[in-house]
Amino acid sequence: MAEVRLVDIEKKYGSFLAVSKQSLTIHDGEFLVLLGPSGCGKTTTMRMIAGLEDITSGDIMIKGERINDKPPKDRDIAMVFQNYGLYPHMTVRQNIEYPLKLRGVKRGERKTRVQETADKVELGALLDRRPSELSGGQRQRVALARAIVRTPSIFLMDEPLSNLDAKLRVTMRAELKHLHHELGVTTVYVTHDQMEAMTLASRVAVMREGKIVQLDTPKKIYAEPADLFVAGFIGSPSMNLIDGSVKGGVFRADGVEIPVPLEDRSGVVLGIRPEELDISQGPNAPINGKLYALELTGESTLVTLRNGPTSVCARGHADFEADINSPCHLTPKDGARFHLFDRASGERLG
Amino acid sequence: MQDRLLPYWLLIPAFIIVLATTIYPLAYSFITSFREWDLTKSRRPGDFVGFDNYIYAASESAFLNSLWVTFIFVITSVILTVILAMALALLLRRKGPMHTFTRIILILPFAMSPALIGVSYRFMFNPEFGVLAQGLGAVFPALQGVPWLADPDLAMAILVLTDVWHWTPYMTFMCLGGLASIPRETEEAARIDGASNLRIVFGIILPQMRGVILVMAVLKTIFALKMFDQVVTLTGGGPGTSTETLAYFIFNVGFRWFDMGYASALAWILTAIMMFISIWYVRMLLSERKMTTA
Ligand SMILES: Nc1ncnc2c1ncn2[C@@H]1O[C@H](COP(=O)(O)OP(=O)(O)OP(=O)(O)O)[C@@H](O)[C@H]1O
Ligand SMILES: [Mg+2]
Repeated sequence: MAEVRLVDIEKKYGSFLAVSKQSLTIHDGEFLVLLGPSGCGKTTTMRMIAGLEDITSGDIMIKGERINDKPPKDRDIAMVFQNYGLYPHMTVRQNIEYPLKLRGVKRGERKTRVQETADKVELGALLDRRPSELSGGQRQRVALARAIVRTPSIFLMDEPLSNLDAKLRVTMRAELKHLHHELGVTTVYVTHDQMEAMTLASRVAVMREGKIVQLDTPKKIYAEPADLFVAGFIGSPSMNLIDGSVKGGVFRADGVEIPVPLEDRSGVVLGIRPEELDISQGPNAPINGKLYALELTGESTLVTLRNGPTSVCARGHADFEADINSPCHLTPKDGARFHLFDRASGERLG
Repeated sequence: MQDRLLPYWLLIPAFIIVLATTIYPLAYSFITSFREWDLTKSRRPGDFVGFDNYIYAASESAFLNSLWVTFIFVITSVILTVILAMALALLLRRKGPMHTFTRIILILPFAMSPALIGVSYRFMFNPEFGVLAQGLGAVFPALQGVPWLADPDLAMAILVLTDVWHWTPYMTFMCLGGLASIPRETEEAARIDGASNLRIVFGIILPQMRGVILVMAVLKTIFALKMFDQVVTLTGGGPGTSTETLAYFIFNVGFRWFDMGYASALAWILTAIMMFISIWYVRMLLSERKMTTA
């Protein structure tokens, strides 16, 4: 059980700034997700916590103790590597057993714990294979098992589910959530799958180009993205972001007229989530255009409308049908949230 | 039609040259190994004597001695070279100006001709004016005036030393190549799992270097079996016959005593040993492949 505190940590590779002066406190028992696009510094941040990467400047504290110079093995962490890092010369069983062996766990107990863990990640039948004889997803599960077989005070997981098929990913996600609930171990979890972030996290830190742009609960991040980048990154399908301007208290873009509480200005982006739009009949709807595409997702149909440069997507009823290129109208639901951003700076306006 | 055959025509000169310079002498020496042929008596090969040359070898003490000498030389030089190279590579693996510089100067011993190495070590271990002999004597008084190359065991040790000195750099580069191909994460995972540096080297790195070490050991064995120049220039096989390796012994039989039939037989014995090692090596390598890929 441990609190992890990053204080102004910075990482430079030569002159390239991979992580810039970030501070972040991960509470005891928290499940913190680092979310961001490829190359934003998620793995680097995690490697610094693990002690695998020197910190250019700043401090890392675990349980209130500064551990900048402590070797990884003394930090009491377990890590799942993005590219597994399995021991190729050992069988699956030996891979999972290795951390226990190094920590002096007795043979009998090792055996039961390896078996239990392997069953948890559905590897029971593969214990005597070598990593080279496994699929990507199976290797990932071995890496996961190797991390969870021990109960450290911090878990670091770098995209541990990225190579699993959709079904197994959902199962493992639930398994991880349950495991976290059971053990209550502080967890830092890297992903660029926002669905994973939303479902697992106590809090999400959205990163971009080495900076944390927003740190909040999943709910808050979804409801109130701090800037244009977060708005576009969170949610699936992603939030509609319409370029336009405000005049006389009305946001205007091609085919769009929506009253907003904002002074006159140009270069405004209005954001609205697809699930907060209804498909309406009348021509006097706030959003008008021609039907561009229909995509059935199973439980609903994604309706995309276009008008000039404007493109808006709405989540409609699964039974919705219409001809492509026919006129189409969308109305925000009652209580729908409009997000307003400045186009140039990306900052939130209201 | 013409165009299709052209590549074959162009290959013919190379084919003839290889045939004339390697295949023909090989076949000729193989046939000679079953004949009696004393070059001092006749310029033409003599009668076929069946396996007599081979049978004679099995009971000749000079040959058996050379086999033993070769065995000792090969075993010690291979083991020492591989261990040293591996250790050096582990030290030089990290990046840094010092590491780069050391890597560069490491090429020098390998760039030197083996015959020259023999000559220079012969001088350096001269008890009267040799740099190494004098230096060792100055640091360890007990070693003053030791007749290095005149002592059978010390002569062998110095022979091995020159060979290790010559080959370690090259083998170090092979190790560095092997180390670079080990995924960084395996070592890092072990570090997090709680392994000490020693355990990481022996439990994680070396097992993954198995294939590379195997290749190195076999290559080095074959090079050591063929080693000839240093014996000639350093010890001349002496003192006595204490450093008379098989390659050197064959040379003596053929070109001092001109016993061509016997020398050919001995050469084929050496070839058989090398072939045996090579085949064993290919087998090991194939089973290694099966283990790590799939
Ligand atoms: N050893 C290194 N030397 C130089 N630059 C590096 C090194 N490691 C990472 N970087 C750079 O640092 C930045 C952050 O890398 P990092 O691996 O943390 O990204 P990431 O957020 O984990 O991305 P992904 O989602 O693709 O895994 C990248 O631009 C990368 O190119
Ligand atoms: Mg990464």
